[in-house]
Amino acid sequence: MAYVATKGGEQAIDQSERFYHALKGNVTLEAVQTVLETMPYLVDRVLGEGSLYAPELAALALVQSGGDLYEAVLLLRAYRSTQPRIAYAQPITTERMTTIRRISAAFKDIPGGQILGPSLDYSHRILRTDVLEGGAVEPTPAVDLADQPAPRSYPLVADWERENRLLVQIPRANNPTNPSDIPDVTRDPITMPAPRAHRLQALARAETGGVLALGYAGMRGYGFTHPTVNELRLAYADLEMVHPISGEPFGVGRFRMSQAEIISSGGGGGVGYKLGYTATMGWNEVKLIAGATLDMEMNQAEPHPAHTEDFVLYHTESVEASGFCIHFKLPHYVTFASGMDSIRKVIQAEYPASKEGYTSPEPSESTKMVTA
Amino acid sequence: MSLKELAHPASDYSYAFLDAYAKRELRRRILKGIALPGAQIPYASRELPIARGWGTGGLQATLSLISPHDTVKVIDQGADDSVNAANLRRFITRMSDAKTTTDTLQATLIQSRHRIPEEILTEKQVLILQVPDPEPLRRVQSDMAKSREMHADRDYGQMWLVLYEQLVRFGDYVQGASYPVMVHNRYIMSPSPVPRWDNPKLHQAQHLTILSAGREKRLYAVPPYTNVYPLEFDDVPFRVENQRGWVCVRTGIQNKFMNEIPQADGSSIFEVSDTGYVSKLIQRDANPATGTTYFDDEGSFYHDGYLK
Repeated sequence: MAYVATKGGEQAIDQSERFYHALKGNVTLEAVQTVLETMPYLVDRVLGEGSLYAPELAALALVQSGGDLYEAVLLLRAYRSTQPRIAYAQPITTERMTTIRRISAAFKDIPGGQILGPSLDYSHRILRTDVLEGGAVEPTPAVDLADQPAPRSYPLVADWERENRLLVQIPRANNPTNPSDIPDVTRDPITMPAPRAHRLQALARAETGGVLALGYAGMRGYGFTHPTVNELRLAYADLEMVHPISGEPFGVGRFRMSQAEIISSGGGGGVGYKLGYTATMGWNEVKLIAGATLDMEMNQAEPHPAHTEDFVLYHTESVEASGFCIHFKLPHYVTFASGMDSIRKVIQAEYPASKEGYTSPEPSESTKMVTA
Repeated sequence: MSLKELAHPASDYSYAFLDAYAKRELRRRILKGIALPGAQIPYASRELPIARGWGTGGLQATLSLISPHDTVKVIDQGADDSVNAANLRRFITRMSDAKTTTDTLQATLIQSRHRIPEEILTEKQVLILQVPDPEPLRRVQSDMAKSREMHADRDYGQMWLVLYEQLVRFGDYVQGASYPVMVHNRYIMSPSPVPRWDNPKLHQAQHLTILSAGREKRLYAVPPYTNVYPLEFDDVPFRVENQRGWVCVRTGIQNKFMNEIPQADGSSIFEVSDTGYVSKLIQRDANPATGTTYFDDEGSFYHDGYLK
């Protein structure tokens, strides 16, 4: 290894990192498996924001960072950027996903039915303090199996709305887009206005809390949209690729994904309803509903300043936002000194009488005249 | 000869961390930046194992240019031993096997946060500045789509208005670091937040400067021998920080950019910010070569008449 010319700095950061790890558990396979099994929703959030579908790696990142979400996402993203892009998967259609939860707030019942699926929505949020007592704990009863298995897939609510002329028909593409032609926010420079692909990709990997804050502001009244949830889905999607020689599609795995559409007639010009959309890897319902609301807000002709595409996409980027925020811990004494030089000059000009510095309560007459 | 001998040894990461596609993209963007001095060139900006905002833009430029034959100097606020500089240096050498130095004269690549060294850089050296905010127009236009149009139209009136308002309110320019400059009489550029002391060093420099903002995904460049002028009105000249009379407690010299260190008794002491230069001055016995500096011992800048 090359000669490294340093003094105290390197030793200090080495010790600091050791100290951090000393205050949390060891990074072990067992710890990773425990996180994977007991906290799938946390893992989903991290892998979604990390934009890398690798639950084991997401769990490892959580264990390695001691549960610091921003650090965990950064670990995943940094790993992701070392991985080559070897091929593109086939598009996944909503109809073909194995849907296990699918609800619509727009109608009492929908073709295919409302499927409640796994949810804490109607749970009583009561802490199970008995677990801490250490006594025998009743395990949660298993789910009763239905007599008839539910169908794997369901029609789209939006299709019914399109048939009934509530939504604009989408022309069916005869020549599906070549996947490598789709703009990729992780490989392209981003410029505004962003292509729709960039916007949806950015929302898919956006930070949940940031999307919620901006989306909630829109819902609460700083926007145009009352987000009626047209359809929310949690699903397992089969990933298919086309064999490079035989041209036959083949399955390469299955992953958890979720998507939400919100429907609104508010703003945006034109008549009828519009859809806002967000999809993400993993199951993350809060982010989906807030993200779909933001998608619609960004489409407004004159969105609230906090709902322009520029504002939303830049400020919900987890790694960039958190990185910049914590960078203010770095020394800034050169820039501070440069600013201090200017401020001293101004203070000297405004308070020329005071030799000791900034003690006079009133600016001088000459400065008053200038500023008046 | 076997296939194994011909192949690169297996490794977990590409040389210098970035894969070949990322390096190619960066090199192309850098070339474009050199061709358009001062223009912000968007790039994809990969995530690195360093937090965003901690020098990932400079790091990507460094990693795309580095070879094992390079000698790298990494500084933060002028200091080689700052913890963040140490961390970046550790990462660069771990991934590239390049040599490192604290001596500005020995370095082929210098990655820096917020400072340009005091010794005059040469044609054989590349300076890479880490940039938090590449957009000098942000204070007058926060929407990046609109500021891009302003650059295209050379629509810089509002920047002059900012300076004018400062003159009216305070009687002088009150911009600290990151004082905007006009590059090649075309683009207004943020010289990264270097102190005003370092701005003139970019003008007609022998070396190439690459400025790279990883988080904001923009890079730009000042090629060698390019005109770089601070924004200033004819009758109110731009001024570097006034540190006249400040004497470095470690070396006894004056007229280099100083850190001011507050003392318990209310006074201040001063030390030269460029630690690589200081360490050479202190080791006078070992007789290390020191280069000519941009500002001489009397504080005169090496391009006569540039500072009015």
